[in-house]
Amino acid sequence: MLQDKAEKNPEIIGFACSYCTFKASEMAGSLRMKYPDGVKLVQVPCSSRVDPAFVIKAIFEGADGVFVAGCHPGDCHFIKGNYFTRRKIAALKEMFDAFSMNDKLRLFWVSAAEARRFVEKVTGMYNEIKERKNVRKEN
Amino acid sequence: MKTGIFICHCGHNIKHTVDVKKLSNFFKKYPGVTVSNDYPFVCSEPGQDMISESIEKQGLDRVIIASCTPSLHGELFKDLLKKSDLNPFLLRRVSIREHCSWVGDDIEINTEKARRLILAGLYSAAHYVPLEEKRVEVTKSALIIGGGVSGLSAADFLSKMGMQVYLVEKEAELGGHVKNLKNIWPARKDGKSIIDEMIEELAGRENVEIFASTTISGFEGFFGNYEVTLDTLEGEKKLTAGGVIIAIGFSPFDPRIKPELQYGKDKRIITTLEFEHNADTLQLPEKPRVAILHCVGSRDEQIGKPYCSRVCCINALRVGEAIKDKYKDSYVESFYMDVRAHPRGGEEYFEDTQEKGVLFTRANVAEINPSLTGIVIRGEDTLFGEIFEREFDLVVLSIGMSPPVDNKLTASLLKITLDKDKFFMEAHIKLRPFDTAVKGIFIAGSCSGPKDVEESINHGRASAVKLFGFLNLGYAYVDPFISYVDPKRCSGCRMCEQACVAKAIKYDEEKRVVHVEEAACMGCGLCNATCPSSAISLKGYIDCMIDDEISAFMEAI
Ligand SMILES: Cc1cc2nc3c(=O)[nH]c(=O)nc-3n(C[C@H](O)[C@H](O)[C@H](O)COP(=O)(O)OP(=O)(O)OC[C@H]3O[C@@H](n4cnc5c(N)ncnc54)[C@H](O)[C@@H]3O)c2cc1C
Ligand code: SF4
Ligand code: SF4
Ligand code: SF4
Repeated sequence: MLQDKAEKNPEIIGFACSYCTFKASEMAGSLRMKYPDGVKLVQVPCSSRVDPAFVIKAIFEGADGVFVAGCHPGDCHFIKGNYFTRRKIAALKEMFDAFSMNDKLRLFWVSAAEARRFVEKVTGMYNEIKERKNVRKEN
Repeated sequence: MKTGIFICHCGHNIKHTVDVKKLSNFFKKYPGVTVSNDYPFVCSEPGQDMISESIEKQGLDRVIIASCTPSLHGELFKDLLKKSDLNPFLLRRVSIREHCSWVGDDIEINTEKARRLILAGLYSAAHYVPLEEKRVEVTKSALIIGGGVSGLSAADFLSKMGMQVYLVEKEAELGGHVKNLKNIWPARKDGKSIIDEMIEELAGRENVEIFASTTISGFEGFFGNYEVTLDTLEGEKKLTAGGVIIAIGFSPFDPRIKPELQYGKDKRIITTLEFEHNADTLQLPEKPRVAILHCVGSRDEQIGKPYCSRVCCINALRVGEAIKDKYKDSYVESFYMDVRAHPRGGEEYFEDTQEKGVLFTRANVAEINPSLTGIVIRGEDTLFGEIFEREFDLVVLSIGMSPPVDNKLTASLLKITLDKDKFFMEAHIKLRPFDTAVKGIFIAGSCSGPKDVEESINHGRASAVKLFGFLNLGYAYVDPFISYVDPKRCSGCRMCEQACVAKAIKYDEEKRVVHVEEAACMGCGLCNATCPSSAISLKGYIDCMIDDEISAFMEAI
């Protein structure tokens, strides 16, 4: 068993689109849903604003995970922004794979109405990373 | 730089799980911070006074308000800066309520999270520059989609106030569901007479144009000047509308979704809507045995309809009453989960119906079996915990209100959001129940969730009042968050031009650089993330702001 003290809590940075995921996170707050404090959001007007460089920067600065979250395909407020996001993140994921860091980057679609889904997604990611992080430490 | 940081307690909402004193003390000593205060209610008048006084006395050039989420009180705080002669885009809101105090319980952990959130705001705001909002003219006209009671009531108000109204109805006739309802509760009026009255009001007005048998096929542009394409019987038609009200109503729940109800397989099983239409021609014995099922297609998690439809309990009462009035010796039994007789007078009506002899059984209906002599209902009486089995001549399903059939189509055309039940979603359930997230697009009536006639009429009028306020100003400010190009950095690769969906980027053959057409830019930032030369930036979200925000979160500054 791991000691509580030795347990490391992950830091996760999420890029959240103003029109959907950020709204879902606001609603999650209003509904007093709980999720880990390690999750912190950067608000962007559209998921397509996320430059792969931001993701890399976050990892460089020590983030254990990064997610980019936008509207479901077809629902983008800016018509097609999320399709560009999907392509970009897919390419970035390949690079992450090459460095065995595939668990550090996620892309998810969360609409403004899906507060619960937002909480489930971020908590799920957090818990998985936390588990792996602590297993690695143990070895 | 002279930054003022104002940390809100929001009564207990923030203070309860964030150590606001510790935070304000920490930032007092932070480089570049001139004022750092915590205050019980920053949005209150004294709270606002404190901020404007600080701006004026200390000459602040950045204001950080750490409080509720930025979409609340946005205009209020922007106006506050304007009044204090500070450009409103030098304000940074940090959400330490919805994103911190409400989502975690531990005060120590929350305080640390809030500290980093404020830090990120502080570093990001350091790169802010004053921005100017652009003024655009607003066309004084409204597009109303859907001609049910909610759309008609919106059309009535807006046209009375002198706005040009375009009312678009998919069906050949106006009036929606109400035109076919008899004996509407509580008005006790024929639905048609209510509709006829409303249409008569509109018919005489020159500034109302009604398009029947018409749908929307194209929708572009921004608040003040939406470009709309209509698909009418005479072909395509284009118009410009300053704002929009969506009032496309509901669709009745289709009981076939629950095969155990046997609906559609036996003529003796009908819906409240069918009862409404055929009440006079129903073939019933002299002493009919009638069962009424509440909550069909409502409060049912299994089929994705967890909500209460608000009108079905009253409808069930109306059916019971109608049968009892016509057949004194009938046996009428209502099977319910709870009787939610919502509107004013509903409870009294429930009592009256009981007095008339309608029986109410709290039950889980398990099976409905048509037989030669009748329809057998088996279930459990949940008050007495007994299994029952009874035979009826007629079963009436009190169906709920489902989202309108065109919900997805309309949402994707207008770029607005549906809620989890697939009705149209309001910008804020309490504070902005008429608005969508898109400026100038409102929702009215049952398309935003089950409502009765009175509620739909009120909702329609309220949305119309809000839209009127916007249109009547005659102008609007558009967010200055658009992209711009640094021609010295631009290599002329034109990658941004290919990416931009709005076609806002233009290439100059002579200078071999691009520029952004401000009026066309939507402010998505895609070009900013695409340019390999870092030559193009989205105002308000430039690279260094986001970079520093990340660093502050990770304490790598
Ligand atoms: C069986 C039953 C009984 C009821 N009884 C009562 C009662 O006694 N008392 C009471 O207060 N309420 C009652 N109601 C509720 C009442 O019907 C609603 O409150 C009311 O119809 C809501 O009005 P609306 O304008 O929002 O929607 P609707 O009446 O649904 O009108 C929407 C209109 O939009 C049009 N439309 C749809 N899609 C499009 C599109 N894509 N483009 C253009 N137009 C479109 C439709 O054709 C329709 O004309 C009852 C409901 C049911 C089902
Ligand atoms: S500013 Fe926001 S957080 Fe502060 S008191 Fe007002 S509502 Fe609450
Ligand atoms: S992507 Fe950048 S460098 Fe290429 S044309 Fe656009 S602004 Fe210029
Ligand atoms: S911000 Fe979006 S709309 Fe504006 S120029 Fe860039 S890509 Fe085009």
